[in-house]
Amino acid sequence: MFDKWQRRETLDEEWKKRFLIGKILLILILGILWLRLFYLQVIKHSYYLNKAKARSVVSYVIKAPRGEILTADGVVVATNRATFQLYIDLENLVNEENTLKKLSLILREDYGSLKERFYLAKKLSFGRILLKRNLTWDEVARILVRQYYLPGVIVEVETERFYPYGESYFHLLGYVARINREEYEAFKNYGYSSEDFIGKKGIEKIYEKFLKGVNGRLEIERDAYGRLGKVVGKIYPKAGEDLILTVRHDLQMRAYELLKDKRGAIVALDPKDGALLALVSMPSIDPSKFIVGFESEEWNRYVNDPARPLLNKAIQAYPPGSTFKPITALAGLEAGIVKGPNWSVFCPGYFNFGSHTFRCWEKKGHGSVGLTKAIALSCDVYFYTIGSRIDIDFLAKVARKFGLGEPTGLGFPDEKTGLVPDSAWKQKKFKSSWYQGETINIAIGQGYLLTTPLQMARAYMVFANGGNLYKAYVVREIRSKEGKILFKESPTLEKRVPIHRDYYNWILEGLRKVVEEGTGKAARVPGIIVWGKTGTAQVVSLKKKTKTTEHHAWFVSFAGNSTPEIVSAVLVEHGGSGGAVAAPIAGELYRTFYKIPSSQKEIKILEERIEEVPQVYEAPEERPNVGNNTF
Amino acid sequence: MSGTTRFKEFIKENMWVFLVLFCLILINIINQLSMGETSGYFWKNVLWHLIGLVLFCLFVIFFDYRKVPLGFVWIVYFLMVLLLIVLALFKKRWLVIGALSIQPTEFLKIILLYLLSLYINKKKELKLENSETIFLLGVILLPLIFILPVDLDYAFIIGTIFFSFLLFFGFPKRLLVGLVIFSLTLFIILTPIMWNKLKPHQKGRIYGYLDPEKYYKTWGYQLSQSLIAIGSGGIKGQGLKKGWSTRLGYLPAKNTDLAFSVFAEAFGLFGTTIFLILYGYLLYWGLMISMKAKDLLGKALSLGIVLIFMWQAFFNIGGASGLLPMTSIPQPFLSYGGSITIATYLFLSILFNIAFKKVFFK
Repeated sequence: MFDKWQRRETLDEEWKKRFLIGKILLILILGILWLRLFYLQVIKHSYYLNKAKARSVVSYVIKAPRGEILTADGVVVATNRATFQLYIDLENLVNEENTLKKLSLILREDYGSLKERFYLAKKLSFGRILLKRNLTWDEVARILVRQYYLPGVIVEVETERFYPYGESYFHLLGYVARINREEYEAFKNYGYSSEDFIGKKGIEKIYEKFLKGVNGRLEIERDAYGRLGKVVGKIYPKAGEDLILTVRHDLQMRAYELLKDKRGAIVALDPKDGALLALVSMPSIDPSKFIVGFESEEWNRYVNDPARPLLNKAIQAYPPGSTFKPITALAGLEAGIVKGPNWSVFCPGYFNFGSHTFRCWEKKGHGSVGLTKAIALSCDVYFYTIGSRIDIDFLAKVARKFGLGEPTGLGFPDEKTGLVPDSAWKQKKFKSSWYQGETINIAIGQGYLLTTPLQMARAYMVFANGGNLYKAYVVREIRSKEGKILFKESPTLEKRVPIHRDYYNWILEGLRKVVEEGTGKAARVPGIIVWGKTGTAQVVSLKKKTKTTEHHAWFVSFAGNSTPEIVSAVLVEHGGSGGAVAAPIAGELYRTFYKIPSSQKEIKILEERIEEVPQVYEAPEERPNVGNNTF
Repeated sequence: MSGTTRFKEFIKENMWVFLVLFCLILINIINQLSMGETSGYFWKNVLWHLIGLVLFCLFVIFFDYRKVPLGFVWIVYFLMVLLLIVLALFKKRWLVIGALSIQPTEFLKIILLYLLSLYINKKKELKLENSETIFLLGVILLPLIFILPVDLDYAFIIGTIFFSFLLFFGFPKRLLVGLVIFSLTLFIILTPIMWNKLKPHQKGRIYGYLDPEKYYKTWGYQLSQSLIAIGSGGIKGQGLKKGWSTRLGYLPAKNTDLAFSVFAEAFGLFGTTIFLILYGYLLYWGLMISMKAKDLLGKALSLGIVLIFMWQAFFNIGGASGLLPMTSIPQPFLSYGGSITIATYLFLSILFNIAFKKVFFK
């Protein structure tokens, strides 16, 4: 066969070159392939591994149960309850139309309305879509057996916030609601998921970081058809921490009942350390509404309600009226204007200052009035006299010692600091100097002066405990679910208010007389001593007064057997006279505190109307109009 | 020398390649096993290997590669062309006989190889005349014309294989230069015209090749998934049956075209390197056979077989790893397929036959 070739060697020689080319080609091609694989499998490995994971593993957030909130006497006032929620995960949804059709059959709902709801929710949400809340067991079962054929449809057990006492704790606890887009953007790096609830007001907001807990995570494999399979990773959630409040449940509930159908606020503090015993503001809203969601019409009604149900009135600023008078009295004593308990002023029912006449609420006049009587009967002329002589800056200094015009330490973000005016303030604000006539208004708690009910309660705490101004606080303890105490609040003495022993005794005597025989008789409680001061703060000038612009009724007081154990401030917006409206509420509150049976089924307005409205020169709407005061 | 001693010597001499072959077959079986669920494929694959092995043994021992007459091959060639014409008319890739579906293109490679090798064997020197070259190119192109409408990829790959094959036998230089210039001009002129004539799925494949991530959900799906599978294998691999791409059904055509990606995901660069080394060793051994072969026919056949295996790996692995456009071509020793397995064993048996028969020449 090799005859064709002269020599076989020739062929072999020739072929050697071919062999070499073949070898090079082989190495070249396999080398290129290997380099490509090296690039993909080593250099780009983590890139493709992440892509593989993103594609094949879905991860779900397991929401941490929120911490509970308990009162001092162990009543759970904010807790969680489990509900089944139906979510649609758009990432896994294969056929929207088809899935919705199937769901409408399963849930026995109209396809059209379900679809509408889906699109509405889709527009609002930025994560998964919550299609239905609170599924029944039956619905859950019907969906779960078909879940394999419903990729993207998820039934989840979720803990939802539950407030067993609804309205009564609203302004104290605040509420939680679904995190909104801005909050999510701001907090997503702090462990918030797009479906989390977040505290929006009150204690729920302030203690958010304790209550929240740490979300867990569930990683499930997803196949090419969107069906879920094996669980590949699970991080258990860590429940939020429990708060133990200083609030007494019975007192809070009683305060709520007492203010029901009224507008106003009740604040009660423990004078020994500033612990909050009750805080109610009315009208109120059931906080669970924020979880379910409002109809837009309903929401508008709340927002536009003149009674302002969304506003926590315990920390809004009002003119304190006559409840400010004990502070004026102390300032008068310290300034040497009031020269002792027997130093007296003759009250003819009016007081002339310059060209202006200030009227006492008692038109007939109180006659000769000493310190005790002045406080007990709330004689305006007596305090006008102090006001006409005292330096506004000194009066403001004394008022500030009682914590007025400053935050109370409770920490609510919507808390108002009120206003204690002085000459510097007026210079800055109105570029004009202070008139002594304005001091006369401040002396009876009107004019520019603004205080919150909480501030007033705290100021009276100083009278109640003999000179200690404590910061107000509401959370006594933070406890982990395992029962470990993580934080224990210790009372903070903000400042010591030195009051001369005699002055103190004289003023306290006056406050006791208010309830015993003066304007606050309605607050009397048998068996205990109540010290207090009524106030009727003028909102508009008397000429313009109508039913809806009735005066604010105040009663700030404290009570105890020998040492005061509770101090409270009651404000009824546009309620009328403090002695008639606010004082009986305080009395009822103390009965609850001392477990003394209530005297009346209903707190009826006293027959004998104690008229106590001072006639203030021009005190206009809500905030005094200061522009054109002429004295 | 008696038959048995000669056989023993043959085994001893080629022990390494037998070992390599054994490993490659094992890899194929393991790889098909790692696909999971589709156990039907696994057992069918084992069956094809058994049939292939039987054929392999029979051919190695009883067949003599020199005893195939050219006339017979011509007849088979024309029958194949006829079959391809019929299939092209029906727009079918597969010849379905009962439960069997045969891919004729796999066997076309054997026929073309034999035909060209026998023709070259008659020559006195390793130099082709212009007319001869054109004739041989025609022989190659004739069946490809009928494959073109049903299986563009395979037609192109077979063309590449045999064109490169002819280059080894003294392809006239002027004709080569002329052809290259001609096809380049044709390419430049035709591309803009042809582009608009391409079917959407053909255009899409080019889009998908150029930017698989952009066309992730459509044209680039296959390549994207393949890249993710290969890339996520890393160095060690995800492990047998553990890879997400394979197990969760993200890899399309995992048993056939993308079998390499399955392997790469499961065993990583470690596995793919071993595979390339084993595969490379087998091909290198094939080149050695062509070196040692005592006649030109043996040299040509073994070189051709090496080229076929090499190009097939290049297009399959290159396609799966995004180096080349994705083609629907199986990878020997990784993909499942009756035709590819049998064809592989037939090629191997010719290769071993050449190695076995070299002692005839004294």
